[in-house]
Amino acid sequence: MGSAEERVVAVIMVGGPTKGTRFRPLSLNIPKPLFPLAGQPMVHHPISACKRIPNLAQIYLIGFYEEREFALYVSSISNELKVPVRYLREDKPHGSAGGLYNFRDLIMEDNPVLVFAVVFVIIAKIIAHRRYGGMGTILVIKVSAESANQFGELVADPVTNELLHYTEKPETFVSDRINCGVYVFTPGIFTAIQGVYTQRKDRANLRRVSSFEALQSSTRSLPTDYVRLDQDILSPLAGKKKLYTYETMDFWEQIKTPGISLKCSALYLAQFRFTSSHLLASGDGTKSTTISGDVYIHPSAKVHPTAKIGPNVSISANARIAAGVRLISCIILDDVEIKENAVVVHAIVGWKSSIGRWSRAAGDYNSKLGVTILGTVMHSPPLEKKLKFMLLFFYSTKGEAVTVEDEVVVVNSIVLPNKTLNVSVQEEIIL
Amino acid sequence: MKALILVGGFGTRLRPLTLSFPKPLVDFANKPMILHQIEALKAVGVSEVVLAINYQPEVMLNFLKDFESKLGIKITCSQETEPLGTAGPLALARDKLIDDSGEPFFVLNSDVISEYPLKEMIAFHKSHGGEASILVTKVDEPSKYGVVVMEESTGKVEKFVEKPKLFVGNKINAGIYLLNPSVLDRIELRPTSIEKEVFPKIASEQKLYAMVLPGFWMDIGQPRDYITGLRLYLDSLRKTSPSRLAAGSHIVGNVIVDETAKIGEGCLIGPDVAIGPGCVVESGVRLSRCTVMRGVRVKKHACISSSIIGWHSTVGQWARVENMTILGEDVHVCDEIYSNGGVVLPHKEIKSSILKPEIVM
Repeated sequence: MGSAEERVVAVIMVGGPTKGTRFRPLSLNIPKPLFPLAGQPMVHHPISACKRIPNLAQIYLIGFYEEREFALYVSSISNELKVPVRYLREDKPHGSAGGLYNFRDLIMEDNPVLVFAVVFVIIAKIIAHRRYGGMGTILVIKVSAESANQFGELVADPVTNELLHYTEKPETFVSDRINCGVYVFTPGIFTAIQGVYTQRKDRANLRRVSSFEALQSSTRSLPTDYVRLDQDILSPLAGKKKLYTYETMDFWEQIKTPGISLKCSALYLAQFRFTSSHLLASGDGTKSTTISGDVYIHPSAKVHPTAKIGPNVSISANARIAAGVRLISCIILDDVEIKENAVVVHAIVGWKSSIGRWSRAAGDYNSKLGVTILGTVMHSPPLEKKLKFMLLFFYSTKGEAVTVEDEVVVVNSIVLPNKTLNVSVQEEIIL
Repeated sequence: MKALILVGGFGTRLRPLTLSFPKPLVDFANKPMILHQIEALKAVGVSEVVLAINYQPEVMLNFLKDFESKLGIKITCSQETEPLGTAGPLALARDKLIDDSGEPFFVLNSDVISEYPLKEMIAFHKSHGGEASILVTKVDEPSKYGVVVMEESTGKVEKFVEKPKLFVGNKINAGIYLLNPSVLDRIELRPTSIEKEVFPKIASEQKLYAMVLPGFWMDIGQPRDYITGLRLYLDSLRKTSPSRLAAGSHIVGNVIVDETAKIGEGCLIGPDVAIGPGCVVESGVRLSRCTVMRGVRVKKHACISSSIIGWHSTVGQWARVENMTILGEDVHVCDEIYSNGGVVLPHKEIKSSILKPEIVM
């Protein structure tokens, strides 16, 4: 009975296809959460972090992707982790809190005392939870003052860690502590969400009565059943001794653009060094390929001994890397072929694509930011503009791949599916 | 017979290569530019070559000393202390050019590379009996040049039209002349233009004849034309002496490789490549439309196209050098670097990529 009371449920909000536009074109035919980072689907990383939560009874993924897209992954990961993982599909976007609330009956089925919630666009190493006696704890991290306004900024009491103030993406500086999107809640959260719904409905009813006011007001456009954890729950509850913060010193990145995924891939590969070093490739060029730094090579990939790989390279299944190829800081996806003497630097090479002999696919390596090269062509919030470099990658769908012919140079460009490049391009988006 | 080669100025258009050597000594197709001309002159019986030069005559003479004996030809310098234009240097070298023989002498522009049909030119000169012969070459856009208007059948020059707006002809002055000593009497020792002042005068007296240059002609005074010039030169070599071109499964198109250069496994070389003496091209390297000068090392898997790699430079593993990249003497491009049109001064190390054409001081 005692252990049953300790039960914990983890919820990972994975969003849906309409929200993944910033991740195009990589997200054109695969749900973003299943895009591989460091050789594993992105969602695998928060899931395996959840695995370390004591008394974990169940992991739910909530989103509005088609169920079939997650079916295979969910069944394999359940077996692998020996923890039931279930995908719950929302009929439409309800907001992060709304999604949670929608499935409250399922989530509460196991009578958990705690609910971990992870808003999926964010990944982090989830830390051991500390309770402050409130309804919830938020994982926070300190960032530079210039970049904080891209996130939810918050102020906490330095002694008690109580959340005192919360503002989502403020125009002026509020705090350099930001919301990582990882929460621990007691079931009391559902009451709080319920409260927001009731309030919304009341207000909506009121508006129906006073239609003149409704015409005047353009501020409210959200549906009544759309509730967000950040703006709608955290802001009002701040300073009411209900929410507390926990500051992490770990790495943390928002996986919103393909460029960031390169950086995250590197961070995870570095983590493998400590947690699962058997996954990392090694070799000094005498009998096998020369490996430099952290490199993941899928067992089914074929890499020629004269190639040089690394650091920060992840090579997926069935990729073929020919003689004399050089790969640096890149993600090579399934069935890619890199031909003799080609060079790939700071790039993601999409499924089944092929890069010709002596060709070069590169992001901007003059960048002092290392692998942080962003796809500014998609939505470009100021942070990403600041990191002004574009990312190059190749992407393909339905088996029709991007082909880069021999001796072509592609720098800081984005190439959409079904393209053959026979001339060099720089800083271009090829649709 | 004697000849004057107009070497002229500092060769600024061919910098950074001319920061290390005077322009006539810059290699073209594995040979200093001026040797192409001296050898052609020697082949038609020229016994003395005068270089009209305005700087570093010592460097030039020191360098050419070996060739004097090797080719059996006398090479001297005539140094101008102030710029004398294209005709003034002839007046300055007058004493060196005139001897008792009364034979005509050649005047060549050192920037020009062609098949040098000097033998045909001598015959042409004798046949027309005029005072001067010039070579003309056909161009696509005559409005950019000084056009020579001539009588097609005899070659008698009627007039010169500088940058014509209306089409008057498509033959331009190729910068190769055969002149009777009497022409020197028409030139004063002052800055003068041979094209604008001397030749029009001779033409007006109906004593100037033009011969159309068979084969290619290129002014290789700047990098882009230098690279085009190499293609034309190698095309011509394919017709005249194909045995000098490299052959093998790793060769595409026309390539010359010095016998002391080493080429590794799995390379693909060509078309239009010159690899100079003592060069080391390691395995898996790709070279096209480029000149790799004496003592250069190109490391494994590197790829070079449409570029000039100056003496004793190195190009690192997996480096990519292209789009009119010009590396001066002793430049080192680090591994994995990309140079897109970088123009690099001598003795530099390139540690970060050059994404857009720019000059690296």
